[in-house]
Amino acid sequence: MNDEIVIRATDFGKRYARHAAVCGLDLAVRKGELYGLIGPDGAGKSSLMKAVAGVLAFEEGRLEVFGLPVGSEREAERVKGRLGLMPQGLGQNLYGDLSIEENVDFFARLRQVPAAEAAARKERLLAITRLAAFRARPMKQLSGGMKQKLGLVCTLIHAPDLIILDEPTTGVDPVSRRDFWAILAELIADQGLTALVSTAYMDEASRFTRMSLLHEGRVLAEGAPQDILALAPGVLVQCRVEPQLEAISRLAADFPQCEAMGPDIRLFAAGLDEAGARAAVAQRLAGLPCQRLDVMEPELEDVFVAMLSRQGAAAATAQPVSAAVANAEGLAIEARGLSKCFGEFIAVGDVSFQVRQGEIFGLLGANGAGKTTAIKMLTGILPPTRGEGRVAGADMKQAGALIKSRIGYMSQAFSLYLDLTVAENIRLYAGIYGLDRRRRDSRLGWILDMAGLHGHENDLASSLPMGLRQRLALGCALVHEPRVLFLDEPTSGVDPLGRRAFWDILFRLSRVDGVAMLVTTHYMSEAEHCDHLALMFAGKVVADASPEAMKQEVIAEAGQLYRLQADNAAALVRPLQEHGFANVSPYGAALHVLTREPERLRKTLAGMGVPADLRERPIAMEDVFVHRVSQLEAASRKGQP
Amino acid sequence: MNLKRVAAIASKEWREILRDRLFFSLAFVVPALLMVLFGYGLSLDVENIPFAVVDQDRSAASRDYAYRFIDSRYFSFRGYAANQRDAERALAAGDVRVVLVIPPRFGQRLAQGREAGIQTLVDGTFPSRAMTTKGYVTAINAAFSLASVTQAVSRVTGMPPDDVAAQLTPIALETRYLYNQSVTSIWSLAPKLIMVILMLSPPFLTALGVVREKENGSIFNIYASNVSRGEFLAGKLLPYVAISSVNILVLWLLATLLYGVPFKGSLLFFLPATLVYVLCTTGIGLLVSVLVRTQVAAMIVTMVATMIPAVLYSGLIIPIVSLGPGARQVAELMPAMYYTDIVVGCFLKGVGLQSLWRPLLVLSLYACLLFAVGYALFSKRPKT
Repeated sequence: MNDEIVIRATDFGKRYARHAAVCGLDLAVRKGELYGLIGPDGAGKSSLMKAVAGVLAFEEGRLEVFGLPVGSEREAERVKGRLGLMPQGLGQNLYGDLSIEENVDFFARLRQVPAAEAAARKERLLAITRLAAFRARPMKQLSGGMKQKLGLVCTLIHAPDLIILDEPTTGVDPVSRRDFWAILAELIADQGLTALVSTAYMDEASRFTRMSLLHEGRVLAEGAPQDILALAPGVLVQCRVEPQLEAISRLAADFPQCEAMGPDIRLFAAGLDEAGARAAVAQRLAGLPCQRLDVMEPELEDVFVAMLSRQGAAAATAQPVSAAVANAEGLAIEARGLSKCFGEFIAVGDVSFQVRQGEIFGLLGANGAGKTTAIKMLTGILPPTRGEGRVAGADMKQAGALIKSRIGYMSQAFSLYLDLTVAENIRLYAGIYGLDRRRRDSRLGWILDMAGLHGHENDLASSLPMGLRQRLALGCALVHEPRVLFLDEPTSGVDPLGRRAFWDILFRLSRVDGVAMLVTTHYMSEAEHCDHLALMFAGKVVADASPEAMKQEVIAEAGQLYRLQADNAAALVRPLQEHGFANVSPYGAALHVLTREPERLRKTLAGMGVPADLRERPIAMEDVFVHRVSQLEAASRKGQP
Repeated sequence: MNLKRVAAIASKEWREILRDRLFFSLAFVVPALLMVLFGYGLSLDVENIPFAVVDQDRSAASRDYAYRFIDSRYFSFRGYAANQRDAERALAAGDVRVVLVIPPRFGQRLAQGREAGIQTLVDGTFPSRAMTTKGYVTAINAAFSLASVTQAVSRVTGMPPDDVAAQLTPIALETRYLYNQSVTSIWSLAPKLIMVILMLSPPFLTALGVVREKENGSIFNIYASNVSRGEFLAGKLLPYVAISSVNILVLWLLATLLYGVPFKGSLLFFLPATLVYVLCTTGIGLLVSVLVRTQVAAMIVTMVATMIPAVLYSGLIIPIVSLGPGARQVAELMPAMYYTDIVVGCFLKGVGLQSLWRPLLVLSLYACLLFAVGYALFSKRPKT
């Protein structure tokens, strides 16, 4: 790797009015790196990237790009010809009414690329991104993944030396996301590009050669994936113990990073090796029957959470909810052949599933997969075109109002009144649901306990951090003690600590109070918290099982996941695919290969003269999703020759 | 300034406008629609005033008096009212706006050569209309009085009535209205509507067009490239100025063909001068667009910034000379008033550069100033 520094930030700081978005940030990106900025919304990623691209003025510190300072508009102009910026938002910087080709041509003309060169590069990039077949299609009719690939083509049309991509994968389905990363890795390897890329998905961290973890405008950790893993040594333990509630409360005393994953318990044993962790867990669980106990290497997210907790950013731990375990019998939600068409477009097609009382049911899928539409039909907001649904024992077609009094609904936008205080918001919802004064006061207290909001009663909702705001929204959705709870992307934009605290509350609500929950998320890693999952793709449910069962099915069909550590790993993707290993994906300096033939993989690698450093890895929900959808796409291609 | 980049931006913008059907139709349909709606709706002529008569005399003289009004094109007779209470009810309901109350023994008193009073009730809710109405009533009344006196004198002296009339009005007033001979208000209104519409439409299009890029984030393509501020603004605004130029012709055609307003001036002066005005109002849109972030804000700010000067401080409804001193100073700071001089001059007076160079110069300076400020405030490296 070249040691030339492309971006150097020294004591960089950016403020908006009185609020400091970034402060005292140091960073150095070397030539040829795929450098990641990782952090939740508001961590300062976008501010830093825009400042590097010379499109945002900043106040503090120094920023150099290609060795030139970019402290003023004039200075920034000198480097703009050599860099490309893709701002945040799906296709937001593209022109919806223009076709793919017209978009690319506009960027080429804007960047004054000579016509012949532009034409050749356009063809090559459209071929790599497999957009060439759709060149006349208007941008606004593309899927999220295609928009992002087109954005990448437009950003690369003038052959920049540095590209800056702000959350290019947010809201894109896992298959397209994986595709995007593969294309990006290939282009970087080919052209000696340097890329500065941000993401809010912790599980994408291992895609980068080096990275910075940002939190509230500061760098928490910096380095290659293995360097960061080394910052918080320890192992990951996953076990299944009955009764889960008691086990979790025992383990949480010793291991703060302990969480429920469906029927399993997952914890990070900081500072312990495998033997030590087994011993410590066994000692804590003494007397409880342990069905299974696996010890694994930690993921980057575990390290990040450990680092965040060390920063004292510990989320206010929520109080355990009422002790009496409620009755958790029967079906809470049932969808049978539910469909919704908007004209020709089938938003939801023939969806069926069941959710039992006390179960956390996850509805997974990318933006536009039909998750929100399905929820709206089940909550009686939107009449279905076909099919039927029963929620909390009532038919949603006939009993819209009755259903609404039995369910809670937390929407993507949190649906809080930001100009009201915490207590005012709760009282407002109590009023909407017609609670009397005594019950209202008791629920107010319960919500403050549950959400850890004591001391914030009189704060404006707008002044709360995202994590607390989210728990307040949850409280408001629970004010009338519903038996069924719908949560539509409840964790978008919340930092990992906040997300964990939130899932902890959901777990207790389901196990202790017997509330049934239907949760949608596009964070594949969160899916593992659910008892049962349905994967949605293009309006259809493509898989419906427990996370564990889904993984086992994929292993049975496609084999185990192997991590291949190699120099210039990205360059190996093509040759391996040509050798029949279809499922190869670049992760930073490594490759992930899903195969049933590890021996043939070893031999192939040996044949190519690559030292085969293969390690088996646990399969992730993302792998499951990608496998299922690729299968479906292949089937539909076969179906229509 | 690199013309290729300007062309790249302008052609991209033009394509977007063409394909956004709603925006495209708004750009062309709304100005023409405004011209038609305002032209037919906003008549300032006071004609066909509905009125009723309460005739308590029922004599030949009282009928004669009433017929003076009934025959006038300014009044529209709605019938005799039985009594004053009925008449007042009709006034309150808005069925009539004037009531003439002819007292008992009106004809008798006139015949005796004594003074006879007529009570006139005028709806005063719209003062300027009420004042005009009062003027008509006074004029008809004066004509009736004159005719009565002429008759009486002629009868007494035996002189022919024409001679008596000439003796009684030694000074005959001869009024000739210049530029608008029949004082048709649409002749004056239609050119001013061109002023109003070109004050509203170009800034709206421009502000929405630029802010749309800011709002959806595609402005970052411009920020992050080597396109200069001038190239971007030139390329971005060019299509909007072109659209407004087409609208100039459309509005001119509507004024001359639909409303039959005579165009006495030279198109060779009128069109370039109007283009300067369009550049000036486009500059207002540009200024708004650099100051706000969302399309909704752009619409509201543009509306406030253009509607009020175009309607109140332009001479559209109230002549500038009738404004109070403070309001007149405000009007003098706004571009609308200067273009009103140009457009009215071109249409009705047939004057050109020689008489109108001063307002044209002011508009040119105004346009330069707006663009300079817009250019200075537009930053490729904003603070937020």
